[in-house]
Amino acid sequence: MTADVHTLSGAYALDALSPEEAAEFRSHLEGCAACRDEVRELRRAAALMGAAEAEPPPPELKARVLAAADRTPQQPPRLDLRPRERGAQPRRWRTWVAAAAAAVVVAGGAAVTVDALRDDEPVPTAVEQVFEAEDARTATVETANGGRLTVGVSPSRNEMAVDTSGLPDPGEGRVYQIWAVHGTEMVSAAVLDDVEAGAAMGMPEEDTEVALTVEPAGGSEQPTSAPIVQVDPRDV
Amino acid sequence: MGSEPGLRLVHAREPADVDVLVGQVALGDSAAFEQLYDEVGSMVYGVARRVVRDPARAEDVTQEVFLDVWRKAPGFDLERGSAKTWIMTIAHRRAVDAVRRNEAQKKYDEHAGVPDEVHHDAADDRLIAAEEHGAVRDCLETLTALQLESVRLAYFNGYTYPEVATLLDKPLPTIKTRMRDGLIRLRDCLETPR
Repeated sequence: MTADVHTLSGAYALDALSPEEAAEFRSHLEGCAACRDEVRELRRAAALMGAAEAEPPPPELKARVLAAADRTPQQPPRLDLRPRERGAQPRRWRTWVAAAAAAVVVAGGAAVTVDALRDDEPVPTAVEQVFEAEDARTATVETANGGRLTVGVSPSRNEMAVDTSGLPDPGEGRVYQIWAVHGTEMVSAAVLDDVEAGAAMGMPEEDTEVALTVEPAGGSEQPTSAPIVQVDPRDV
Repeated sequence: MGSEPGLRLVHAREPADVDVLVGQVALGDSAAFEQLYDEVGSMVYGVARRVVRDPARAEDVTQEVFLDVWRKAPGFDLERGSAKTWIMTIAHRRAVDAVRRNEAQKKYDEHAGVPDEVHHDAADDRLIAAEEHGAVRDCLETLTALQLESVRLAYFNGYTYPEVATLLDKPLPTIKTRMRDGLIRLRDCLETPR
């Protein structure tokens, strides 16, 4: 299967792979520029095939869609979401405190581990393991509140991690909360009591993005403010 | 003065460029979003209808797709392909997800192995859509029977390629390559100036 993985481009462009195979194929794409070009072209052909089936929707659907969009916040623009050179990521992992025990939360298909570690603890944390993985890629995005968030992904581990230490203090009685975003649904993934601590999580399912909001201490059931940043980990 | 006027008919409203519209939507322009819906709504609904079949569910899928487009437009990157391809890719994936969530539908579908031949005659006055419709139909005819069936079962019925292999009683690698070869042939044909 791995020997001829690139011949899956047709099935991939037709959305005919299982989620596992699609993930495997996407990791293959990362190292194969020719395959990416081919997928782009085949997707275009598939899109034209779909477009040829155009059929006017019922007229009343338009008002429903426009009203729904009216109630839906847009993602903040993605800034500078380009992979950086390996080794360029900030090394801040030494400063964490032993606050909470590692907590595991399952949300929207993403298992999230919030790590805390003593200064001199030699065992790499889950976050370090992601950022220091052989195939790690990182990207830094600016957040709407003037901070920076660094996202790391490791396809081989099928995990991602966020470095939140570049975020400003959320303010008295406020915390940052991480959300798994799927369509219009937002599910809490973790509440970050300490911005110096990062979070590591399994790569979320396809079409699930990760967003951060500022919430009252303790976190919220649903976001009470617009995300300060939202990223698709697959774009890192 | 014959019947050959020196003027060409100008449409009251030039079709807006979908790429430009998505760029405006990215800035929160709801008028552009409405225009985008007018431009591509029938393509999104059409593919949803073909894949999920049920009109009410196709409407739900269409709404999900447009909300995705609205939310994600700020992150849309033209370098990765055109806005129309982006939107249709979202539409197809959403439609396929809806079908796979309801596997039972397929079991009830007597025509599962035979993609139905209902073509919607590009009912609106969209010249572009009509041209594409004709081109796609002509180009699909250049595919071999097995390529065509593999591509259509996957794209319009939402089957995974192992399911297609089972349905057509062919080995997995055969179906995998037929899907790729079929799409390549479609791509090459569509790119050939007509």
